[in-house]
Amino acid sequence: MGELGAEIAHDYAGREPILVGSLKASLVFIADLSRALPILHAIDFVELAGYGSAQMGGHEQIRVLKDLDLDIRGRDVLIVEDVVDTGLTLNYLSRTFELRGPASVAAVTLLDRPYRRLVDDLPVRYVGFVVPDELFVGYGFDIDERYRELPDLRLLHLSADRR
Amino acid sequence: MGLDTPAFRAFRGTEPPRFASPAELECAKVLDYYGVPWEYEPRTFVLEQDEDGRVTEAFTPDFYLPEQDLYVEITVMKQSLVTRKNRKLRKLRARYPDVKVKLFYRRDLERLAQHFHLDIAS
Repeated sequence: MGELGAEIAHDYAGREPILVGSLKASLVFIADLSRALPILHAIDFVELAGYGSAQMGGHEQIRVLKDLDLDIRGRDVLIVEDVVDTGLTLNYLSRTFELRGPASVAAVTLLDRPYRRLVDDLPVRYVGFVVPDELFVGYGFDIDERYRELPDLRLLHLSADRR
Repeated sequence: MGLDTPAFRAFRGTEPPRFASPAELECAKVLDYYGVPWEYEPRTFVLEQDEDGRVTEAFTPDFYLPEQDLYVEITVMKQSLVTRKNRKLRKLRARYPDVKVKLFYRRDLERLAQHFHLDIAS
């Protein structure tokens, strides 16, 4: 975390970026990242209704469940993701934010699975860990809203009937 | 196959797609949901021809994502049964080195299904 914070602080020296956490799984990561980032910065959150989620509610287009509170026009936006996988969510977020006239849009992700990308043209500038094709819980990551509270990341092994 | 297809918004093809499996339909719905333009089987790549120029082997990836310039083939076959598909993919990459193509295996789809709560049963 310290390394990520130092790298981001170096790149954004003299600026005051807005960290935008993509709820919910990035909650713990953004809290730790913020405390490891020794420059002025703001924090905001956004939440999308993921495909297949209960919040999707039969809609055929993505829905923003919680939009930004801050005006990002002219500001440096750093999207904080828990994991970048297919890239579909980050692609949607970055394109949506670009329409609002920010000074820049970049992303930091705790975990990365680049081998599963469907969208390659993403603003991922900082990566915590490139991880294998495994399921993780804890540190904000859940499965069916469980285990987010575990203090660190753990590998989840599903039994055959859960697959 | 009689799969009910919704009115897609990000579909960029001309003919209405006729999906060969529920997995293909679900992938189309995910792409559509996130607003990623897609086409369905828009191009067939010739892999082998005989001496008379007749096509003896070809490959038609399931999806094309024009903004990514990426072809995506999905398979619900078990890993042990995808050897033939892998071989075709290697031929395609050798013959068309500039074409970007990605194969999503059953395991990838199962991960996506867990993430997006998909019904990919074939």
